[in-house]
Amino acid sequence: MNAGKRNARDAALAGAAVEQSLAADHIPPASRKMLWRERIFKALLIVSLLVGMAVLAILVIDVLSDGLGTLNLSFLTSFPSAFPKNAGIESAITGSLWLMAICAFFVIPVGVAAAIYLEEFADRRRWWNRLIELNIQNLAAVPSIVYGILGLAYLVRGPLDLGRTVLAGGLTLGLLVLPVVVISSREALRAVPGSIREGAMGLGATRWQAIWYQVLPAAIPGISTGAILSLSRAIGETAPLIMVGAATFIAFNPTGLNSAFTALPLQIYNWLSSPQAEFKILAASAIIVLLMMLVAINSVAIIIRNRYEKKW
Amino acid sequence: MSQAGAVKAKADATASVFARSRPRYGELVIRASLVIAALITVLTTVGIVFALASETISFLGEVPLHDFLFGTTWSPLFEPPSYGVIPLVTGTLLTTAIGMIVGIPLGVGSAIYLSEYATSRTRKFFKPILETLAGVPTVVFGYFALTVVTPWLRKIGIEVDAFNALSGGLVIGILIVPTIASISEDALSAVPQGLREASFGLGAGRFQTSLRVVVPAAFSGIIASIVLGASRAIGETMVVLLAAGQRPNLTLDVREPVETMATFIAATGKGDIPTGSLDYKTIFAVGALLFVMTFILNIISTWVVNRYREEYE
Amino acid sequence: MSPAHDDSTGTSTMDADANTPSPSHEPVHMQTPALNEHMTPKPEAAEKIFELTDVSVRYSGKLAVKDVTVGIGTKQITALIGASGCGKSTLLRCLNRMNDLIPGATVDGSVKYRGQDLYASNVDPVQVRKRIGMVFQKPNPFPKSIYDNIAFGPRVLGMNKDRNLDEIVENALTRASLWDEVKDRLDESAIGMSGGQQQRLCIARTIATNPQVILMDEPCSALDPISTSRIEDLMNELKEQFTIVVVTHNMQQAARVSDMTAYFTVEVAEDDKRYGRLVEFAETETIFTNPSDQRTEDYVTGKVG
Repeated sequence: MNAGKRNARDAALAGAAVEQSLAADHIPPASRKMLWRERIFKALLIVSLLVGMAVLAILVIDVLSDGLGTLNLSFLTSFPSAFPKNAGIESAITGSLWLMAICAFFVIPVGVAAAIYLEEFADRRRWWNRLIELNIQNLAAVPSIVYGILGLAYLVRGPLDLGRTVLAGGLTLGLLVLPVVVISSREALRAVPGSIREGAMGLGATRWQAIWYQVLPAAIPGISTGAILSLSRAIGETAPLIMVGAATFIAFNPTGLNSAFTALPLQIYNWLSSPQAEFKILAASAIIVLLMMLVAINSVAIIIRNRYEKKW
Repeated sequence: MSQAGAVKAKADATASVFARSRPRYGELVIRASLVIAALITVLTTVGIVFALASETISFLGEVPLHDFLFGTTWSPLFEPPSYGVIPLVTGTLLTTAIGMIVGIPLGVGSAIYLSEYATSRTRKFFKPILETLAGVPTVVFGYFALTVVTPWLRKIGIEVDAFNALSGGLVIGILIVPTIASISEDALSAVPQGLREASFGLGAGRFQTSLRVVVPAAFSGIIASIVLGASRAIGETMVVLLAAGQRPNLTLDVREPVETMATFIAATGKGDIPTGSLDYKTIFAVGALLFVMTFILNIISTWVVNRYREEYE
Repeated sequence: MSPAHDDSTGTSTMDADANTPSPSHEPVHMQTPALNEHMTPKPEAAEKIFELTDVSVRYSGKLAVKDVTVGIGTKQITALIGASGCGKSTLLRCLNRMNDLIPGATVDGSVKYRGQDLYASNVDPVQVRKRIGMVFQKPNPFPKSIYDNIAFGPRVLGMNKDRNLDEIVENALTRASLWDEVKDRLDESAIGMSGGQQQRLCIARTIATNPQVILMDEPCSALDPISTSRIEDLMNELKEQFTIVVVTHNMQQAARVSDMTAYFTVEVAEDDKRYGRLVEFAETETIFTNPSDQRTEDYVTGKVG
């Protein structure tokens, strides 16, 4: 090492040492600059969370102040009308309930079965099982409008040719939330400890018996929470229903699977795109109803989760 | 299964008490139905790809690929029609870009707060708010953009049109905050505690530890969350349909109305267009483009997330 | 025996730093004797850098260690030993307020550093940790280059404003006797180093911030015997400039490296709750050859775990 550099470093070290020894005896309070930097950074982070909260608050206040006035029993029990003061959402509510029922009827058995396969039977070393997993992860992020195209091409028209029926709408929504149900059911199954499976199989149960009598019952709270949350997502969806051609001017409740239908979010969309200001107010009223339905559904999920969820 | 095989071999050799009484057909049927359920998810993807591809190929038989991808006028309903998708793509990218400018700082900021600063009490307060935000239907966000944000923009002196890219983009930004925040928070929380302790032990503050140690260590996960957020923003339909209008508009002026790929699909799909018509096929062609764009982003994001999960597990 | 250092700190710190081993300095190989025989100030005579009085630590109300009163001498190695759960790591983490990072942790009693109460309201824990660095049980290098690992501390503390960062890095690595092994691959990720190298890197990283005290929480428990012996050699060298407090579950290690030893034990309260207590604090030689408490004797002679 050359001498010049060495001297320079020794000098630097000595300098540092003096500074250090002076400071060493007493620990000063936090430097003002550091303190402010910490405060500002933390404040910015909190603000970023508060923005989301503020949007929610403003949204709710705005919807309530616009829509509460026209929200009454006749609004809930009337059919759509060209005249704002006669218009209501009965057919939209029943349509949404039909959609939810059809969706649940399709997606819960299929989603849970797929989850059981992937979690309990599938060998992750096989490429096709990994592909199924990857595919589900990807499907969960496909835009909902694309599901609408799928529904239009294969359910409404094309091979199944169901027409613009509530069945086509419910199945389209079912396909849309299927990945969500599979993913949440798998998490619920995974949370059941392996010792339960081993315990059952150690008593001579077959693999399926272990799943059916032990694992599945233990996972049901988790599975139902996930399924209910995915249904709440399904009834809030609009874009796919536009594609499968749910009409908005439906002055009757669905009478069966082949019935034409409308739905709450669709009715809201339709009223919002109307130029008349009165209809925008009706949209706000309908949003209150939709949000209340979602709150109710989510509360059920939360109650189930809190009451039945086991900590292993 | 090897276990069953072993039992069977023994049964053949000795006819012992371990011999299987009868084949378990019931279990086979059950297993087959489970596999079928899993295959429905694959079938969904195949269906999407096949539907989009077949109609798109047919569309490209009538409109040259070059005109579709690089044409700068989108006017399928005019005479003569023009099918240049560029205005729809720029409209999409414009609202997405505005959304990302809002969504990235808010989402990542929320995640850093929740993972590095929040006590268990503040987490219990803030997490449900993010979850609620994620659960609000997009049509409701569309209402918010149209009836709250646009009037506010005008009030603060931004002369926006009644339908404009800015308010749609801003609300998309809010919409993707929960997506970005939750995945980023997972990534930040997965950073080993030892790294934080090392940093604090060296006299770094929380601010420095968060930005110089934890965020860099979780960087790939944060990127994945942003990519997924972008994918959601690109595919978002209702907010833009309600707030940004339906005018194919090759512009960077955020005060003007724009049409995005998703809003074109929804607006066209709404009408009763005949199967097999060129208008019908445009839905699929634009849908295919949208699907490819979001698919690439989703795959990148999934790949990155799976990779860092393996790293820490 | 008279103190080797005059502990009117100012000059001695300066001397120590000015005599920093240069890169060409050969690491001194010790033949790790059964008991530490190096030139050290007689333990009793050393000036106390820490004075703990009746220190108790609770996690969310649950007592972890109770009523510890102990003084830790400047430029000595003090070992904290005892069975697991005896609160030795908890106590160590009081000394630089690392416990602050655990929600619900509370510290009662007084922890004085050079006469100043570390838990006074106007004391900034970040400033505390600048002076009292820490090395952890498991090597925890940042997933960055070797260089950036060392440079992290000086950068966040703003030390690079008046000193050349390259010099700081070289100096710290040299003092941790790691320079020769890594000087050609400073840009490579620290994750690729061996466990022992990683731990020495973590020590170098701490040295680079120029602390007064280095706390070590079972620094060798994740390492093989050869790496362990290198770290022990390193500790003996570092004692020239730093006060070291080391938690160890390895009694031989305490015997080999430390000047003073504190033995902790687990006590069971009437309600069956367990907490740690200090049994005996004395010169290491006394603890291992002539302990005054029967429990200490049982522990060091291997009668109890």
